[in-house]
Amino acid sequence: MPDKVSRRGFIAVAGAAGAGVALAATIGALSKRPEAKFAAQLRAVRRDGALPAEDPASDEWLRADPILVKLVPQQVAQPFLGELDVPELSVEALHNGEELAFRLGWDDPDVDDLDALNVFRDAAAVQLPTQLGGTPPPIMMGGPGVPVHILQWRASWQRDLEGRTGVEDIYPNVVRDETPDRVLPGGVAQLFYVGRVVGNPLSVEQRTTSVEEVIAEGFGTATSLAEQRARGGGVSGNGRWTATIGFPMERAPAGARLEPGSIWPVAFAVWQGGKGNRGSRKQFADWIDLELEA
Amino acid sequence: MAKVFNWQLGREMEYPYEAPRPERQFTMIMDTNKCIACQSCTIACKSTWTWGRGQEYMLWNNIETKPYGFYPIGWDVNVLSLLGTQAWEGETYGGETVFEAAPDGERVLGWSPDEADWNHPNLGEDEPTGDGTVTYVPEKPHSMAWMYYLQRICNHCTYPACVAACPREAIYKRPEDGIVLVDQTRCRGYQECVQACPYKKTMFNLETRVSEKCIGCFPKIEQGLQTQCTTVCIGRLRLTNFLSTPDKADPRKPADFLVHVKKIALPLYPQLGLEPNVYYIPPVHVPVEYTSQMFGPGVQNAIDAYLGAKDDPELLGLLMLFGATERIMDTFAVRDGIAYAYDEAGEEIVSVPVQEPTIVRPFDYPTELAGEPATGFLHNT
Repeated sequence: MPDKVSRRGFIAVAGAAGAGVALAATIGALSKRPEAKFAAQLRAVRRDGALPAEDPASDEWLRADPILVKLVPQQVAQPFLGELDVPELSVEALHNGEELAFRLGWDDPDVDDLDALNVFRDAAAVQLPTQLGGTPPPIMMGGPGVPVHILQWRASWQRDLEGRTGVEDIYPNVVRDETPDRVLPGGVAQLFYVGRVVGNPLSVEQRTTSVEEVIAEGFGTATSLAEQRARGGGVSGNGRWTATIGFPMERAPAGARLEPGSIWPVAFAVWQGGKGNRGSRKQFADWIDLELEA
Repeated sequence: MAKVFNWQLGREMEYPYEAPRPERQFTMIMDTNKCIACQSCTIACKSTWTWGRGQEYMLWNNIETKPYGFYPIGWDVNVLSLLGTQAWEGETYGGETVFEAAPDGERVLGWSPDEADWNHPNLGEDEPTGDGTVTYVPEKPHSMAWMYYLQRICNHCTYPACVAACPREAIYKRPEDGIVLVDQTRCRGYQECVQACPYKKTMFNLETRVSEKCIGCFPKIEQGLQTQCTTVCIGRLRLTNFLSTPDKADPRKPADFLVHVKKIALPLYPQLGLEPNVYYIPPVHVPVEYTSQMFGPGVQNAIDAYLGAKDDPELLGLLMLFGATERIMDTFAVRDGIAYAYDEAGEEIVSVPVQEPTIVRPFDYPTELAGEPATGFLHNT
């Protein structure tokens, strides 16, 4: 298997291998084993060596202990998610003392991996407090003075990694305007991509990760970290997304280090783009305990 | 929800924010009667602001034929349908606004255009409507089936729905001129603004993946200049200006004079509750039942004032100043058949005759009669 398995890559590899070893291994790794149960505690299993943080199909994930968490529609801050689109999420975690990685799995019949007109991407996120101790921050993205550290994997960003998705991919048969940088000097041309000029993470031309790392102190306050260190991967098959999110356990300046042997609150959220989920229109799971194996 | 006063509705209404009014408010006046839908404004805007890849479908300015033209498709009839039948009680709006009628869990009653809804910006062009005796050739003026052109930019509303709906507070109204802008650093591309704006004037950029909108040509406004769409208008039907609230109306100021004194220019769908700041002189040939739904209860008064402009030198003079200068007028005056525009220092910007002198040329009109060198040619050949 390649080091980095993207959705398309996975399909290509699986297809090329036919009924061979690669396909069998992939299906094995993606299946739920042992049968995951709803639980309020997640154990991040410690192992040596590099984590499969960009490879949801890796056999390494067979070492993890999966659990299920219930999702509920976000109906605290407007706009609400009217109806629950994804009722449950399977979660598992691995760490190696330096990096913590999650694998998340949820049912979604469609692959929505574009950001376009009234078209929204599938996504999933992990949330942790920045500091340990006391009552966890408000579940809804923290609160003033009690920030949370959020890592969101995005299907559209995953697709970008295979070559940035632009107008020519979204609407291949539509006449396209010229790119300003082909007809104007660089500095001037960039003025026509204001989002890019001001460094909006959504507007990045060459994406290097499918995961955005943010700090938030309540709804509407998500702020991208200056240094993005998270990585991820995602594959879709049989009406189900499986995505990975990995990030360094040394979290400065975002927050305190995640020490092996400690127990942290962790929460999750899922967006089903095909149902118009975006922003606060999401389903989320309440805080559970994350035990980082010593 | 805060209580704010919307003078267009003649009452207080609910809005998610306190929304203090800006120091002055950008406004545009449109004389719908003069538009020929040449789309010079559309092209001026497009070639200035939205010609890059990812903005192909974007028209911050567009001209659509009413009643069958829409950009995006159905923008106004859809929100009117969602809102349902509502009523004015005289000059006070007795119905619900899009804020007051918002469903549970939403800040604004809105809808999201589909991709295809943006595909036909000039849908319904020049399609008339009528009572079944439709004819394209009028037997007498205005006996024909009717249609007219509606000029559309962002309304830079006093109570913007896009601002209300943005969960990140990424859209803001500039205190210095009331222009509404999307903060390109804060926007996350959720398109809640697209869903909420009843005028559908926020748009998603496919390349930068954040929303953009008409910026009121603010770099020009900051230099005291009128917008691109205004200055290129060959029909001279637009005026970029600043508008006061009715209690502070100054009859020397052009927009105040037209909106508050003469009440000849009316807001677009005021019943939605956004207090939009683009004002329209309604078309005189269109059934008032239709235009009242679009511009509120003042339509007949506005039409009467407009038709009376020939006997109203002040009004006629101001209409002649439309398109006469690129600079923004602060005040105007009409004296002895001449209309004058002044800047904030009281210096004259431009003056124009209220009535253009009529000159009848003889049939044979050699160039030397026009004060030009004798060429042997006639001007009328």
